[in-house]
Amino acid sequence: MNNTAQKHDATPLVAESYYAAVTDALRTEAARLLSEGVVTAVIGYKEGRRHGTAGPAIVVDPARANELIFSAACVNNLALYLTKAKKGVAGTGKIAIVAKGCDLRALAGLMAESQIRREDLHIIGVACAGVFGSGADRREPLSAGNLAGKCRECSVGAPEGADIVIGTLPPLPELSPVEAEELARLEAMTPAERWAFWKENFARCIRCFACRQVCPFCYCEQCLCDRNRPQAVETTPRPAGNMAWHIVRAMHLAGRCAGCAECERACPMDIPLNLLNRKMARELKELYGHEAGLTPVEKGPLVIYREDDDQSFIK
Amino acid sequence: MSRIGVFICHCGENISRTVDVERVAQVTARLPGVAIALDYKYMCSDPGQNLLKKAVAEHKLDGVVVAACSPRMHEKTFRNAARAAGLNPFLCEMANIREHCSWVHEDREEATAKAIDIVKFTVSRVKKDRALAPITVPITKRALVIGGGIAGIQAALDIADAGHQVVLVEREPSIGGHMAQLSETFPTLDCSQCIMTPKMVDVANHPNIKLYTWSEIEEVSGYIGNFQVTVRRKARSVDEDKCTGCGVCMAKCPQKKIDNAFDRNLGTRPAIYVPFPQAVPNTPVIDRDNCTRFKTGKCGVCEKVCGPGAIDYGQQDQLIVEPVGAIVVASGFDLYNIGPKPADSPYEGYGEFGYGAIPDVIDGLTFERLASASGPTGGKILRPSDGKEPKQVVFIQCVGSRAREKGISYCSKICCMYTAKHTMLYKHKIHDGQAYVFFMDARTPGKNYDEFWRRAVEEEEAVYIRGMVSRLYQKGDKVVVMGSDVLVGVQVEIEADLVVLATAVQARTGADLLAQKLGISYDRYNFYSEAHAKLKPVECATAGIYLAGACQGPKDIPDTVSQASAAAAKVMTLFAKDQLEREPIVARVNERNCAGCLACKKVCPYGAVEEKEIRDRNGNLIKTVAYVNPGVCGGCGTCQATCPSKSVELDGYTDEQIMAMIEAL
Repeated sequence: MNNTAQKHDATPLVAESYYAAVTDALRTEAARLLSEGVVTAVIGYKEGRRHGTAGPAIVVDPARANELIFSAACVNNLALYLTKAKKGVAGTGKIAIVAKGCDLRALAGLMAESQIRREDLHIIGVACAGVFGSGADRREPLSAGNLAGKCRECSVGAPEGADIVIGTLPPLPELSPVEAEELARLEAMTPAERWAFWKENFARCIRCFACRQVCPFCYCEQCLCDRNRPQAVETTPRPAGNMAWHIVRAMHLAGRCAGCAECERACPMDIPLNLLNRKMARELKELYGHEAGLTPVEKGPLVIYREDDDQSFIK
Repeated sequence: MSRIGVFICHCGENISRTVDVERVAQVTARLPGVAIALDYKYMCSDPGQNLLKKAVAEHKLDGVVVAACSPRMHEKTFRNAARAAGLNPFLCEMANIREHCSWVHEDREEATAKAIDIVKFTVSRVKKDRALAPITVPITKRALVIGGGIAGIQAALDIADAGHQVVLVEREPSIGGHMAQLSETFPTLDCSQCIMTPKMVDVANHPNIKLYTWSEIEEVSGYIGNFQVTVRRKARSVDEDKCTGCGVCMAKCPQKKIDNAFDRNLGTRPAIYVPFPQAVPNTPVIDRDNCTRFKTGKCGVCEKVCGPGAIDYGQQDQLIVEPVGAIVVASGFDLYNIGPKPADSPYEGYGEFGYGAIPDVIDGLTFERLASASGPTGGKILRPSDGKEPKQVVFIQCVGSRAREKGISYCSKICCMYTAKHTMLYKHKIHDGQAYVFFMDARTPGKNYDEFWRRAVEEEEAVYIRGMVSRLYQKGDKVVVMGSDVLVGVQVEIEADLVVLATAVQARTGADLLAQKLGISYDRYNFYSEAHAKLKPVECATAGIYLAGACQGPKDIPDTVSQASAAAAKVMTLFAKDQLEREPIVARVNERNCAGCLACKKVCPYGAVEEKEIRDRNGNLIKTVAYVNPGVCGGCGTCQATCPSKSVELDGYTDEQIMAMIEAL
């Protein structure tokens, strides 16, 4: 829902030539890295089968570097391919990865959690004006009208801390923060209304676990929620189990979520998962002054105890 | 099917008064997997334990539930009994139906139902218990003693005499503590300095004692047998190795007008000083807050006059890590101050006594300094305002103590005796003077204590007035004491030359902070808590840490010395072994599941979690996982609570066991 494009204002945010230039630079860099043997693979995007789409690609041959692209259709968070495929891509040597600002935040988080090491990565940052929201007509250029909700409030368009950053963004217009507005609407509700809101949303969940599979932070070898001895969360898509799963997911992401909103994009039932993520992020900021950032933090707020920690929740 | 034995204790009447133990036995005997359920009046007694042992053998039990008191009380007892009967001790669990049930409930029906539930879920837990083997860890046979008062000195000397190394840490520039400030001591009136200073010298000369004065505890980590203690040696500005203690620096220091805290601010001292002439070590310290050199950069007299060149203005605080196996806390007490209290203090000051603003209203410790031969008046009792000999002195007991409205409800224990002593010291020095004492009760239990008090009343002519003082105020050069004599039922007004308040013994300011560093518990007055009020009076609940002296509660010298020797004996008992057997209740990592996020490593308070690489047969790294060092693990379970994938579990407290316990209800 929040990821869904808003149907208005079709003025292009960036010129088509911007993506062409970034794509060119990206191909040159990837070919150089592979041919010089700096990295063994480049994780990036290539064109999708349908017009205006893109999908993840792993390039190991410099000759195929020209398959890589960058466009507003490059929605995926590629950090996922460093953890989920631990036994595949990782461990083969230094790897290059194309990262938008939000992806870079995920990389920083994964480094802090000992899942990847900075020295094993060559990060190709790309300056990103935003990606398409779901349902966007891909024949149109990226505009305020078809931009993903999360991108309307993005603060990391030009990533920092990468080995190289490709592209320089033109000045972008200030857009109304639709996600923040939706969050404010929820927060204004009474607890009973909010409970009803989430109950209704979670009731739709079919427990396909797409949100989990697409999340770079859900890298456990065996998810707690797949366990049956003892069973912590009911596995069938019934209301109580659904609620439990989504609460576990939200709590486990508190202070870690990079805000890429891939969970919400992947959800076939349009559950506004990023709203929960953002709510948790805000709680963490208010309670502990912590925000998931672009640099790894050795100890996140939920693994430290400080004397002056807020304890008002103990009643 | 399990064969579990359930043993239900009456605990005399402690449990059976509220819980129908026979019914608990009848009901739980029918639980699936329970082979036998018995009740007995005192399960922990020898016949009770024999019941358990016999049942293990007869019924071939593979698990035992003892429904009795807290595991803190008797888990060890029953696990030993299970071991003696041939069962792995960790297959024996306590179901606490005393603290968790009979003591806190009144309704017999409901309490019995709850007791049955407690036994039920403990049976479910035991079914999933694993047999565990104890872990042994080496013991560092060195002790740390915190505080160099009489308690710390006694404990340090006893441990050192037993042949073990002791590190003694004292916050002040000299050891001695409060006892060094006293004049004469009850009930024998021997001079405090005369019995104290030889012990101080013994500490300094003892080959087994490493003395750190002017030092504080910075950080404590580790566990029984293996603590790592970081000591902050505050910059003394004097090189202890070079200083000969000649005292020229103190004599020549131009800044001599600093209130002498050791003399309760009655006299003055120089900026470079030892607190009192008999100080140990006899090495001065520069009070940087008051030293002209440190304040303005000009001066440097002490450096010029120091023959051996011991003055070092550039000295920095030093942090020293000392490995020790046991810790004795002897950090002492503070006295209640009648001045107005800050808003966040739980205590009220004494506005009716002028909040400490009347110069001739002093506390007992100040009186000790006045009466002491080495005090600011050379042992002459002279009042602070004009230096005159006081002819009428009023002593007021229970100032701050036993005064709930002022924030303290306990009795400070030592005041009755020292006030009696003060009246005698006064009479011995000012023969024509008259002492009055306002008191609530005279509490004088102790060997020769009541005799001592009677002597004060009957032979030394102190007038004891039973009643409280409602107001003190200055009138001319007198202090008017308005009180009541409740035995006669009249109001009393005395124009006194000097008033001495027996103020309450309080925990040290900052005692809570030290406790937090040590990981020991303290009560609402910040006195440190013993593990058991009667049977473990010197042990802390934290293994390997022992208490001595007034940091645990108000105590006089004989009690303090006894407790210090007791704490030392506990340390020696620990050090008598070479290996420490530890409970194997430690966390284990499921390496197959562990994703290696190492959140457990970040939260572990014991530093027990390490990284472990999993490699294939060709040596290729498959993944990095967490590993818990069982010798270091404290079994707190924080890792288990933190692990997102539940890949680390505490033996005896696995998620499976906890879930089974919940499901049993």
